[in-house]
Amino acid sequence: MSATVKTAQQIFDQILNKEQMFILDVRNKDDFKDWKIEGKQIDHFNIPYFELIDGVEEIMDKIPTDKEIIVVCAKEGSSQMVAEMISDQGLTASYLKGGMKSWSEYLYKKEVYSDEKMKVYQFVRVGKGCLSYMVVSGGEALIVDPSRFTDIYKKAAEDEGVKITHIVDSHLHADHISGGRILAEETGANYYLMQSEGAVFDFKALENYTKIDFEQVSLEVIAVKTPGHTPGSVSFFVNKKILFSGDTIFVSGLGRPDLGGKVREWAKDLYDTVYNKVSLIVDDVIVLPAHYVDFEEEVNVAGYIGEILGEIRKQNEMMSNQSEEDFVEHVAQSASSETPPNFEEIIAINRGVEEAEEEKKQELEIGPNRCAVHHTN
Amino acid sequence: MNATKILDAKGLACPMPIVKTKKMIEELQSGDILEIHATDKGAKNDLAAWAKSTGHELLESTEEDGLFKFWIRKR
Repeated sequence: MSATVKTAQQIFDQILNKEQMFILDVRNKDDFKDWKIEGKQIDHFNIPYFELIDGVEEIMDKIPTDKEIIVVCAKEGSSQMVAEMISDQGLTASYLKGGMKSWSEYLYKKEVYSDEKMKVYQFVRVGKGCLSYMVVSGGEALIVDPSRFTDIYKKAAEDEGVKITHIVDSHLHADHISGGRILAEETGANYYLMQSEGAVFDFKALENYTKIDFEQVSLEVIAVKTPGHTPGSVSFFVNKKILFSGDTIFVSGLGRPDLGGKVREWAKDLYDTVYNKVSLIVDDVIVLPAHYVDFEEEVNVAGYIGEILGEIRKQNEMMSNQSEEDFVEHVAQSASSETPPNFEEIIAINRGVEEAEEEKKQELEIGPNRCAVHHTN
Repeated sequence: MNATKILDAKGLACPMPIVKTKKMIEELQSGDILEIHATDKGAKNDLAAWAKSTGHELLESTEEDGLFKFWIRKR
């Protein structure tokens, strides 16, 4: 028997279908501890591949015979080797094509909203917990917080028969390299970012806009300055129906304000944003954030990551009835956790002060996003 | 550093650099030093972790223009 290959898409579809899986992760222990393929139906076993070079006999008792076995590693090679060894033992095993690198780069598209004026798609970057969006109206599309895999958005626009005319970044991302600038160059679309985020290339400064209109149908994108996660964080309020909340509000928490090294100052901004700006937005608005932490915890019945604001308010003790002092204290306490991997270098690239080759970008982005502080119980 | 043997693992992708390292170190005597040349970036982490788990000593590693060199003393 020889091992079969599985793509990231196939594995994610199986997670969505809640299929039982046994993942034999043959990366180093630290990498596994940091970041792995997650799902409620998944059992894991981690052993570095180099402990299996002489054979898999000694771990065969750890491998179930009644579940699908998928071997994963960083790039593919060693998982293929191990999957073949397991197959030689008489079990069926497959390995992840492209390894965790391809898991990190896989995006899944899901329609989240549609009315007579617009249609909204969510792109879920499964391996990183990053979300980006496409709003389609008439013959145009607006992209929110694009990843660097710009072909995906171009393809999605093509499928809809529309042209990408506007691209917005809610803030200068620290966990992934923005595709905003590249996508704007490729499509000729306007690219918007807050000037105060410190980017050094050409873009349209969101400070100059209270709203971005597009198409003849009255689709208003209102840029709400929501400082806190970063000083120049912004949310986009579309047709008073949808709030693209960037890293300000998540389904299960708020954006961490500590990555700039001024946690208390930024936490005050976050308080002001939550208590004086977001508080004015009504309960039935759908919040679509830029990240999630746990897909299965946060995905809603409709199959996307998002929640109406009223529900988020109910679940999140930090969003009401707290004094500024208590809020800042709580945030400062909980924000001192681990930072997103390589965040300083990623920020420098997103700011345009550093350039990186494709391979370097892949490397920098590997790992979890760690953009939230959790305040829910 | 005086290496007893040199392993050329350039151009090889994971898992081959470690597979070959393991094979070659088995042919050496305790205390011998194996010098490894690799171009796979992953080799850096993997060799360190492998040496740690097997008890061989990673004496030194260098990186120049995408070429990684490692010196491992057999335990």
